Amino acid sequence: MIDRYQFLVPDFQSKEPKELALLSIISQSFFQPFSIEDNLLVILTALTSGSGVGFNRAMLFRTSGDKLKGEVWLGPRSAEEAKTIWEVLSTPGIGYVEIIEHNRGLLTRETDSLSQIIKPLVYSLSQENLIIPAMSAARKEMILVRNSRQEPFVDPKFLEIIGVDEFLCVPLFALDEIMGVVILDNAYTRQTIEPKDIKLASLCGLMAGNYMYTTMLHNKMIEMERLAALGEMAIFITHQLRNPLTTIGGFTDQLLNSPNDASKKRRNLEIIRKEIGRLENVLYELVHFLKVEMKKPVPFDLRPEIQAVLQSSDIKIKSEGIEVVVDIEERLPKILGDPTYFGEAIRNLLDNALEATPQGGRVTVQSRWEDQNWVIVRIQDTGKGMPPAVKEKLFSPFFSTKDKGLGLGLLFVKRVMESCGGKIEVDSEAGQGTLFRLYFKSAEEGRSDA
Amino acid sequence: MKKILIVEDEEALCLLYKEELSQEGYDVMTVYDAEQALEVLNRERFDLIITDIRMPGRDGVELITQILGLRKGIPIIINTAYQSYKEDFMTWAADAYVVKSSSLQELKSKIKDLLNQ
Repeated sequence: MIDRYQFLVPDFQSKEPKELALLSIISQSFFQPFSIEDNLLVILTALTSGSGVGFNRAMLFRTSGDKLKGEVWLGPRSAEEAKTIWEVLSTPGIGYVEIIEHNRGLLTRETDSLSQIIKPLVYSLSQENLIIPAMSAARKEMILVRNSRQEPFVDPKFLEIIGVDEFLCVPLFALDEIMGVVILDNAYTRQTIEPKDIKLASLCGLMAGNYMYTTMLHNKMIEMERLAALGEMAIFITHQLRNPLTTIGGFTDQLLNSPNDASKKRRNLEIIRKEIGRLENVLYELVHFLKVEMKKPVPFDLRPEIQAVLQSSDIKIKSEGIEVVVDIEERLPKILGDPTYFGEAIRNLLDNALEATPQGGRVTVQSRWEDQNWVIVRIQDTGKGMPPAVKEKLFSPFFSTKDKGLGLGLLFVKRVMESCGGKIEVDSEAGQGTLFRLYFKSAEEGRSDA
Repeated sequence: MKKILIVEDEEALCLLYKEELSQEGYDVMTVYDAEQALEVLNRERFDLIITDIRMPGRDGVELITQILGLRKGIPIIINTAYQSYKEDFMTWAADAYVVKSSSLQELKSKIKDLLNQ
């Protein structure tokens, strides 16, 4: 027999040992897809909530290069505020989520938030005469300061701001990497910091340091992947530009060197014209690909957008000899997305469909409100279809079966669909034609007669 | 007359090279991919090979490796749009590496050098 368990966050009011609750709250937050700032707030909340470690205030400094910079200071601003807040927060029914929300509110109160006070504090981590709080981070040591006013190692400016006799510095680090330092105090209750508090705080510090380190590595990795993709892109673009340029240059030189060769004149100019078209295509794809950004989807009627694409001259030229069937349901709701991107995506797919379809073939553009929330646009051709190997790579960058362009067209369509919360599917078999299905979110509630 | 084999998948470039090099007095044959190139090389003798390194079907790199086995001293010029491969290829396979450009001067003079003209 096996028992399955979800990772559960114990409630702040639960009867479980508070150390256990604390650990699960912090580790749980690392599984959430929140920003690092949000998760650090969770850790600071755990350090300052009554059912967590229970410090009055927590201050976070983070490293940036070899500097340590003040970032967040969480806690009440005065003894009175502390009393009111703690009363509210200890009311039955107030749980972990509410406390986090409350703290987030504190931090976004730009004008009078405590954090503004520590933001100008910047310390060097590499200088020889380290002062507290930087000393704790640089040496990766927890430091408990008592009688702070008699302590020569404490930065006087910092002391003036924190204004307490006793505080605890907890370094945040992983391996050799220093991520920051947390400073904890009991400014209002004036409780002495006990060894058990230090142990719990160190545990939080270790977890936070490792979490920050992992996040940093993750971000670095994403950046490296992005740079690698950019490098690959640059190589492909170079290739796509150089070939037409070589052709244009060569045939132009021929014309210049033998201006009286009438037979070559027209032929060369036609080749040059065609190559210029290729260059334009590369630019067009590149510009469109680069400019897709996450815009807030707006409701719009897809009918005029599709019509505009069908009426455009390049599509009209390509449709010669091919039957283009447009079949859009009468009572179609508005869809969510960006009308310009939508048009470009449809143009891309139509362009491909028309190119793949032989003379006498058919291309269909159909739209239906089928599911409660989805409007589906289908673009189908009776063209040559795709073997599995091509279908597999369809949405990869720089993959193209055509000799023009960059192979970014379908990737562009995919990004457009993702940016409006939709999706794209494809059915294709060699010799059987291709069907693309675009799923758009309907801007209206589900249809009543469905 | 010196015979040159050109392996190039761009149709317009094949035409351009064929015309330009014929005018320089060479006997030029063009093929579009590596498969055709190997077939022709098995059948005929050439004095020089000009090849791209990224083409449909068998890759140009693979072609060079195969040609090395067949070429018996035939000089090879890599002619490609990819500048970045230069370091990889010059050292071990080709006799010259010419990045495609709007002027054919460099290509023409490399051909002359390699054919000792």
